[in-house]
Amino acid sequence: MLLPRILAPVRASCQLSSHVLSPASRVLDALRIANGTSAPPALSFVRHASHQAQGRANGAKDGPGKRLGAKKSGGEYVIPGNIIFRQRGTGWFPGENCKFGRDHCVFATESGYVRYYRDPLKHPKRQYIGVALDKDDALPYPRNAARKRRLNMIAVKIDTNSKGFEGQPVVTDLQVGDGTGSETSIRATPRGNPKDEPRGLVIGKGYAYRMANWDIGRAAERANVQVKEFTPGNRWAAWRKSQARIAANVEKKKLRNAGKKSPKPKPRQQRQR
Amino acid sequence: MASVKPSIRQLNACLKCVRQTSSLNGTPRRFLSASAAAREELQTQPTTAPPPPQSATKPAAAITDEKPAKETPEYMQKWGELDPEKVDWKRDERRLVRRDGTQPVGSRRRRAILHRSSANKAEEIAFEELPYQCFQEARKFLMGDRQEKLNDIQTQSLRIKNLMDQDPAVSGGPKAKETRLRSMRDYLNELVILADINDPIVKKKFEDGQGDMNKPIYRYLADQKWRKYKRLVLEQRISQFNIVPDLLASIDPVADVDLGFGRKDIAPGDYVDSATSEQMPRLTVQTFVPGEKLVTVVVVDADVPVPEKDSFTNRCHFIASNIAISPSQTSIPLIRIGHDDRKTEDPAARKIALPWEAPWAHKGAPYHRLAIFVLEQKDAKALNIAEVEKTKRLNHNLKGFVDKYKLKPIGASLFRTRWDESMPGVMERAGLKDQVDVEFKRKKIEPLPHKRRTERMR
Repeated sequence: MLLPRILAPVRASCQLSSHVLSPASRVLDALRIANGTSAPPALSFVRHASHQAQGRANGAKDGPGKRLGAKKSGGEYVIPGNIIFRQRGTGWFPGENCKFGRDHCVFATESGYVRYYRDPLKHPKRQYIGVALDKDDALPYPRNAARKRRLNMIAVKIDTNSKGFEGQPVVTDLQVGDGTGSETSIRATPRGNPKDEPRGLVIGKGYAYRMANWDIGRAAERANVQVKEFTPGNRWAAWRKSQARIAANVEKKKLRNAGKKSPKPKPRQQRQR
Repeated sequence: MASVKPSIRQLNACLKCVRQTSSLNGTPRRFLSASAAAREELQTQPTTAPPPPQSATKPAAAITDEKPAKETPEYMQKWGELDPEKVDWKRDERRLVRRDGTQPVGSRRRRAILHRSSANKAEEIAFEELPYQCFQEARKFLMGDRQEKLNDIQTQSLRIKNLMDQDPAVSGGPKAKETRLRSMRDYLNELVILADINDPIVKKKFEDGQGDMNKPIYRYLADQKWRKYKRLVLEQRISQFNIVPDLLASIDPVADVDLGFGRKDIAPGDYVDSATSEQMPRLTVQTFVPGEKLVTVVVVDADVPVPEKDSFTNRCHFIASNIAISPSQTSIPLIRIGHDDRKTEDPAARKIALPWEAPWAHKGAPYHRLAIFVLEQKDAKALNIAEVEKTKRLNHNLKGFVDKYKLKPIGASLFRTRWDESMPGVMERAGLKDQVDVEFKRKKIEPLPHKRRTERMR
């Protein structure tokens, strides 16, 4: 808003100077004259505060310390989960047997001895924190050698008394089928393999007792069900089967709809006039 | 087949009229295909060795011969003739694969068009003679380019011949001569590829899987295709599963290795059911350089737990040596090789040094990586099987094995195995009954000694 009014004299002086072709050193003088001669602007210029000067505007930058930095020094013994370095951003990267936490802190995934090192073959500029498995190991490990790893496990005998494991048979009174493996038309020669014997109920993945799928598949065999052999390409049998299925579906639908009230057509209301 | 879509009918009509006019003109037409025989001669000459002789181990052809011996059921015979070039129904494709064991060729759209035109008894037009002006102009241009390349090949081979006849003293010493010859041969090979790379027939044949791997152009195309995806995946798996520092110092795969158990194909790194991997795998090794090679196949388990030492070790599951492969002979049917071995009386003629041991893992133990390496034998010389048989299984050192027999890894693949339902049976049959009821559990980690607060403050 103000700008055009202020600039008006300047523009005038410029035009003036272009007419007169005054030397460059006198341009400012010309400006000054132009300003002086023009009518003084009726503006009372007030400077309002644009910057908070009081309170916590300028101070209080120094909050509480965040306790960043190294928590374990080089050569110190750590166990998995120990935080080695706390940082904002990624000044240090996790190397051997270390990982980043969710705030870029570096923590150990193996027990061993902390090493601060660089690995130019991995990255030319990064600095790494690693955990050496043995006290006198130097990091990084040589590139082409097999990795040093720990098993961190112990071998124990499986406790055969507890039956709670997945996949183990549980004998209950809910045994399905006669379990004798009677001969059926489906498999003329029963397999002698002991793993094919029906195993009854078994704990599945969801901790629910159920029959194994292959066991369910043998139910017909155990019940001595006689089935006609399936001939691929027998369209007649296929048609009869599909017809039977369709008819059964129709029956079912009827039964389902039997309980429901059939929607009655609403009596049309007569307009009374 | 009675209904023919209008578009095809139009095409037929168009073909007829165009062909008539061209024959009326009597313009002499030469197509790329006209010089096919000459080209094939030229292709095979400079780079490829003569086609490999049929080896003693019967290749894939023998397997296919056995199949028809089994009688096809009656309902299958009812399906009639199924032409892989012309089946265009999904059902027929399925039947073709099921009965004849052959895959349909090309796209279904192409097969449908071929089928319809044959049903209409339409005139068959060779691909090169399709009556489109732009197409023919483009072919003419490509043909000119090809002729240029052929001339270049001739001059280059002449130059090479001249240089070979030259006295090494004139050409700056024998070493410099060798270097020059090598670079000239490289350029010649490049020209051979360039001469055919733009031929649409070559492209079509390659895409239909009918390319002859004895010709450099098809090997080149197959190599490019492999490098574009499969090799990248393999490289990633090798590095992510740390196969490279753990088993070998480095590997540069140059051969495409396909792994499978029975019918099932295994992608690199897949978990394989222990019952599936009880039998030997089948390998398909496609090499992209000419010539026959003898290879050794080694399968190593890289994660055998050693609880006493709290670490891992390697175990060798299989070694077979002196297996011949070439670009056109890719299959390594290990099961068949095993059968042949049992029949041969001479122990030196055997190929399997360490028979297959089914991969197994303890319950609760971390997964086992089983890496399969195809190692090229130096100068295609046979290894002494009696010596290879002495290789120990447990604490197997693959790096040492490779160094000792001067082998060069050319291909690799891997799969994983872990405890599953069928593992106890597999282990029992492998004679490891005492290991079935061993379970691995995590070790408790001792916490760091606790320091009291006052102690810490000091």
